Amino acid sequence: MKMSLIRSVLAFLVVVAAFSLPLVLRINSAMLEILIIMCVFIMYSSAWNLLTYSGQGSLGHAAFLGLGAYSSVLTAKFLNLSGLWAINVGGSLVLIQSTILTVFVGGLFAAVVGVFIGLTCVRLREWFLAMVTFGFAVIIHTVTLELKEITGGHDGLPTKHLVSITDSQITDPFVKTLMRYQIEYYVILVFALFVIYVIDRVLKSKVGLAFEAIRENELEAKVMGINTVKYKLIGFALSAFFTGVAGALMIHHTGYLTPEIYSVENSFRPIIYCISGGLFTVEGPIIGTFIITVIWDGLKSFGLVYEHLVIIGLILILTIIFLPRGFVSIPGKIRSRFRSGS
Amino acid sequence: MDLGSLVQITIWGLLAGCIYILLAIGLNLIFGVMKVVNFAHGELLMLSMYFTFFIHEFFDLNPYLVIPISVFLMAFVGILIERLGFRPIMGTGKLNEIFLSLGLIYLLQNAVALIWGTGSRTIRSPFEFDSISLGSRQIPLDYLIIIGITMVLLVLLQVFLKKTTLGRAMRATSQNREAAMLMGINVERMDMISFGLGSALAAAAGALWCISGINFNPYIGSAPAIKAFAVIIIGGLGSIQGAILAGLLLGLAENPLLVLLNALWTETANTLTFLNLPADISFLSWQNSVSFLILIIVLILRPQGLFGERGE
Repeated sequence: MKMSLIRSVLAFLVVVAAFSLPLVLRINSAMLEILIIMCVFIMYSSAWNLLTYSGQGSLGHAAFLGLGAYSSVLTAKFLNLSGLWAINVGGSLVLIQSTILTVFVGGLFAAVVGVFIGLTCVRLREWFLAMVTFGFAVIIHTVTLELKEITGGHDGLPTKHLVSITDSQITDPFVKTLMRYQIEYYVILVFALFVIYVIDRVLKSKVGLAFEAIRENELEAKVMGINTVKYKLIGFALSAFFTGVAGALMIHHTGYLTPEIYSVENSFRPIIYCISGGLFTVEGPIIGTFIITVIWDGLKSFGLVYEHLVIIGLILILTIIFLPRGFVSIPGKIRSRFRSGS
Repeated sequence: MDLGSLVQITIWGLLAGCIYILLAIGLNLIFGVMKVVNFAHGELLMLSMYFTFFIHEFFDLNPYLVIPISVFLMAFVGILIERLGFRPIMGTGKLNEIFLSLGLIYLLQNAVALIWGTGSRTIRSPFEFDSISLGSRQIPLDYLIIIGITMVLLVLLQVFLKKTTLGRAMRATSQNREAAMLMGINVERMDMISFGLGSALAAAAGALWCISGINFNPYIGSAPAIKAFAVIIIGGLGSIQGAILAGLLLGLAENPLLVLLNALWTETANTLTFLNLPADISFLSWQNSVSFLILIIVLILRPQGLFGERGE
């Protein structure tokens, strides 16, 4: 009871900090950009973690990220929707675009494809699955490049932003961008909190228990009457849905979409974040994404082009060997150290 | 399209197949004995290319004579990686070794990029200008030598595994680790030897590929390694014959088959004009995807691979 209270208080403090961050610090748009991408990757890593929770490690999750992004962008483009509603913020008119709804189309499409990929994977274990998912990312990359008429091939597509600022007294484009970034940060933060909340609920429900049983021993889970195929597909669908939403949000923020979104790096990043933060926990991907992004972008901003990736690789190897349960296990380790010392 | 160019493309396919086979057999040995997957196998190949390049540069040796040196060096590097990286996590979790090798990929690629830069390098073979003419086309002598060396290596490996005590001990370990341990085989030593041997085979693949005149950079290893995984899954885990067959299949499917398909498509589009087919479709951009398409089809139809035994 006491531990759960501490956890709720901590979670509340983190949420308050996340909301007040852009207001307290006078952040410039470059910093805000990093924060927004961090929020997107928290969503994405949590979704990847959800799939791994059911014992299915994917090496090609960028496929869902890209599918969500492309389907959302194309829906917005072909339906040609107008803005959803306008809000008056300090004298300037902020138009919330309908892309805020098309991201769900992206998520749904990714989930449908995810179920199909899951169907080919239900019989496969560990690294067979890893190979097939990796292969799907490569194949979808090729298909996207080939469908030049729809996806624009190598050149990609321009995308609509999540919000746009119209009818404004602000003429300075930099201030305008900063304002757009601020509002988009809050939109994406709300999405991220919602996704984390849903994933937390799912993992604590019957579905989460089934995932855990399948991960620990699939045969025994089957014997206990768990429909393993059904739950594995649910895992794929949910994970692909959240990943698709994350991809669509990211791409509507940046304003352009190229097949680069299917890159191997995008597939590997959530793995690094989750492993270093702590697999199979809700807070692991959040902490991991935060710490690794700070290290990643911090070192990069010092001009260490290759060094930062060497360090990331080392961190990954060292956490697997010495901290198999990730950064989240550090407080527990320190506490037990103190207890045995006294 | 004449016969000469078809033979030429087939030789390209065979060359690619040789690289995949050497990588895949190394992976197969490591997986068989340790039950560990090394996704960083391509980085060992890349490292071996750099070793070959620098030894060739500094000592001005014939690149073919550098092969044994870099093979020996890489076997040592492989043993080091096994000792420091994989042994501490043996048996801790099913997915941990995949994630550890992801860390190794980041580490090795960027360490090489940091030390030697990302510029592409190439080696000059002494037989660079020698070739065998075949109709209108020329086949470089190097390609034939490389294919020959690969065949010799495969025969040597087979003799080692079948005829020597050490090879028998390795096969016993891969069949049943506990029973092998009870029979007095030092299985941890077998782990070390198999990882060293796997790295040595990757090194041979790297050195041979390097000599074939390819431009290489620190990121070259990933693509062939991933395809080597496809090869061992297609061929069946632990089956060396399967790996050889699947490697050749993939090498041929990637090059000659796609060229042939391209020619056929253009021909059909030009003759059957009433179908209104777009003539400019190119199958060559599918080169990277073809291995995964074959992989997925094989896994759906025959999950244990072409030569694999049931249950794995």
